[in-house]
Amino acid sequence: MPIDHKTTEHTDPSFKPLMRSLALELCIYAPLVTIYFIVVLHFAKEPLIQLYEQGSTSYAFVTLFLILMQGVLLEAFTSWLLRRIGLR
Amino acid sequence: MEFPIAGVIVSPLILAGTGFIVGVLGGFLGVGGGFLAGPLMFWAGVPIDFVVGTDLAHMTGKSLVAARSHRALGHVDIRLAMLMVLGTVPGVEIGAQIIEALKPRGNTEQVVGIFYVIILSLIGSFTAWESLRTIRMRRTEHINAQDAVERTGLLYHSRLFRIPPLVQLPVSGVGEVSVWAILFVGLLTGVLAGFLGVGGGFLRMPLMVYALGIPTHVAVGTDLFEIVISAGYGTISHALKGNVDVLIALTMQTGAAIGAQIGVAATRYVSGPSIRLVFSFLPFLAAAMVLLRIAF
Repeated sequence: MPIDHKTTEHTDPSFKPLMRSLALELCIYAPLVTIYFIVVLHFAKEPLIQLYEQGSTSYAFVTLFLILMQGVLLEAFTSWLLRRIGLR
Repeated sequence: MEFPIAGVIVSPLILAGTGFIVGVLGGFLGVGGGFLAGPLMFWAGVPIDFVVGTDLAHMTGKSLVAARSHRALGHVDIRLAMLMVLGTVPGVEIGAQIIEALKPRGNTEQVVGIFYVIILSLIGSFTAWESLRTIRMRRTEHINAQDAVERTGLLYHSRLFRIPPLVQLPVSGVGEVSVWAILFVGLLTGVLAGFLGVGGGFLRMPLMVYALGIPTHVAVGTDLFEIVISAGYGTISHALKGNVDVLIALTMQTGAAIGAQIGVAATRYVSGPSIRLVFSFLPFLAAAMVLLRIAF
């Protein structure tokens, strides 16, 4: 029986579940991150602008602190979420 | 949406989207992705001095997360990273001072933009050439990718990197290499980081692999660890000079966090040289965007 090469592409057994996982990740994670982003911007925008206008030194260290904290927290949150819903 | 610190109106979706693309690339290629994020921000309308500082800030957080993962896998050579930082930090400061010197002249956008185009074109050409050569070598000589890289590396052909003092790098499996070579790599990439707002991984990675003989997986992890320190220093330095919009950086980072997950997962399906070949067109795309912004 001839093999249909079009249908045998990407037949790696873990490929389809991976794509499904990624789609689920996007559907769950993207709205959560969007909400987080809106909340953070809402509360942090004015104080950060004031800090920028007042003095450079404190603004510089607050910037570094915020960016590092957000990076670690987002990663920890993503890992926890993916473990909870069984995608990892 | 208005970002008052940078004094620019940009859609947060564009910024988060930029972060997403850079996150995918970071997870996929193991680079910071600043060489692409910078031109995308510039193209979106962010002033070039803020592009440089903000790009460094956004990369610091992203690279910290990636470096932690690589550290857990034993892919970070701390001795190499700390030595390289001694060259990188002064380099970042030199780059940041060049930006400050250009500000009063009012031609920062043109100068930085032209440097971006030159560097991006070189990266694209080198990546495409190197990937094609490695793929061809693997096919004709049946050797693995690391051996192919080592055979064509500077360390394999010359003893230029034997100037004392020499240091052993057991984590990287390198017998002896000159401290001066490590400092030079750090300084060169540091200047680029401070001047263009990039982590310098696109240059430091090949230099570590080709010039210092570091295995690719250790080079990726060590590079990310180095980016955390150098980009962190660059963030402070540029923020003190008023060149960082933290709101833009935080927005971009939300997209990058999602993209990084997808990028890491995708590496299971495509081999290293093929990944580099596929993505070699991206620097050219970024160069074209910078040219468009400068021209119009």
